[in-house]
Amino acid sequence: MNYRFVVKPELCIGCRTCELACSFAHSVNGKPGRSRIYPLGTGHKELWVPVVCLQCEDPACARSCLVDAITRNPETGAMDLDAERCVRCMACVAACPFGCSLHDANHQMVVKCDLCGGDPVCAHFCPTKALVLEPIVQQKKKKSA
Amino acid sequence: MVTLTINGKLVRAREGEMLLDAIRREGIEIPATCQHEAVEPYGACRLCTVEITKADWGGWKNHVTSCLYPVQEGLIVSTHSEDVIRIRKTILDLFLARCPNAELIQNMAAEYGITRTSYEEVPDGNDCILCGLCTRVCDKMGFQAISTVGRGHGKEVAPPLGEAPPDCVGCLACAQICPTNYIKFTDDGTTRTIWGREFELVKCETTGQPTITKEFAAYLVKHRNIPEDYFTRCDSAHREELAKTMGRITHWGRQEEA
Repeated sequence: MNYRFVVKPELCIGCRTCELACSFAHSVNGKPGRSRIYPLGTGHKELWVPVVCLQCEDPACARSCLVDAITRNPETGAMDLDAERCVRCMACVAACPFGCSLHDANHQMVVKCDLCGGDPVCAHFCPTKALVLEPIVQQKKKKSA
Repeated sequence: MVTLTINGKLVRAREGEMLLDAIRREGIEIPATCQHEAVEPYGACRLCTVEITKADWGGWKNHVTSCLYPVQEGLIVSTHSEDVIRIRKTILDLFLARCPNAELIQNMAAEYGITRTSYEEVPDGNDCILCGLCTRVCDKMGFQAISTVGRGHGKEVAPPLGEAPPDCVGCLACAQICPTNYIKFTDDGTTRTIWGREFELVKCETTGQPTITKEFAAYLVKHRNIPEDYFTRCDSAHREELAKTMGRITHWGRQEEA
């Protein structure tokens, strides 16, 4: 994992290009899927936040999944949902405190951000670079005395 | 890694892997209705039957359910040989006699050229193919609310004693994964009924949207260590809240208000 996905709300203009890019990137049989990213208003003037899965360290979605369908992808660092394993009990949708585990009613499946396998499509389309893939600079840790 | 032959093609597979996984990875379509990634293979529907042989078997061959058969070095597999097709047709014919109205079975049988069963239709037949997927998923999730009861022609999937199951939490997983949509439920946004038991749904404090049943939420709080207040809002309300919180952090210490 040499890159990380960074969301910068102060740069977001709420154009919703990421939403469109996401839903096309995750199309099922040619039909656009449900977007995993939601640029929402914050209640402040001209301030938007692209709400997207935070890939928590100890995620409620994975803890609530009784069939272990949500697991950490060691390559991308994302919590991946195995659609083949999912039994659609909606536990993760109800349990996620950020509302980022979603039910795609059109395709009868549960979806969540998987960082597009390590190269998020939304980051490519964001015109203001509010969504970026940044390389992680390894900092040498000083040994505590 | 082991090397085997599937339909004349040399294929490498992981040791301990089941034949069906290796076959599917090669892009070969074979029907399998009782198979699901969430549970162990079971071999109930028998539709994934394939023909296996080995070079040193002296012409002997065997028919096995590929979902339950681990890959072996030097195995020669045919997924669509004449015998396999005949076996699969017989199974589908029998399924069609039991479940004449199940859409999945009708479509599968039509693919193999069967539109009407050659057997006598079961008079009180239903759409259940008794694959046991629902009971296995229920067991896997830790509820064990339903099981197969009875034997032979009287075998069916049901809650204990045919009464409203006390261990069911109304998660609907059984109905969602049922290959033939046999398991029925009703959900009017306030109450959910399945297996003859009524469940009250948790409603979002902000939007009033129903999420999961109260029993399921209570189970997750108790056994999966999820804070209780996570269930008080629906997913869209959670997102709104996250956006508002992030806005508050960004505007920390500033005076302007929209």
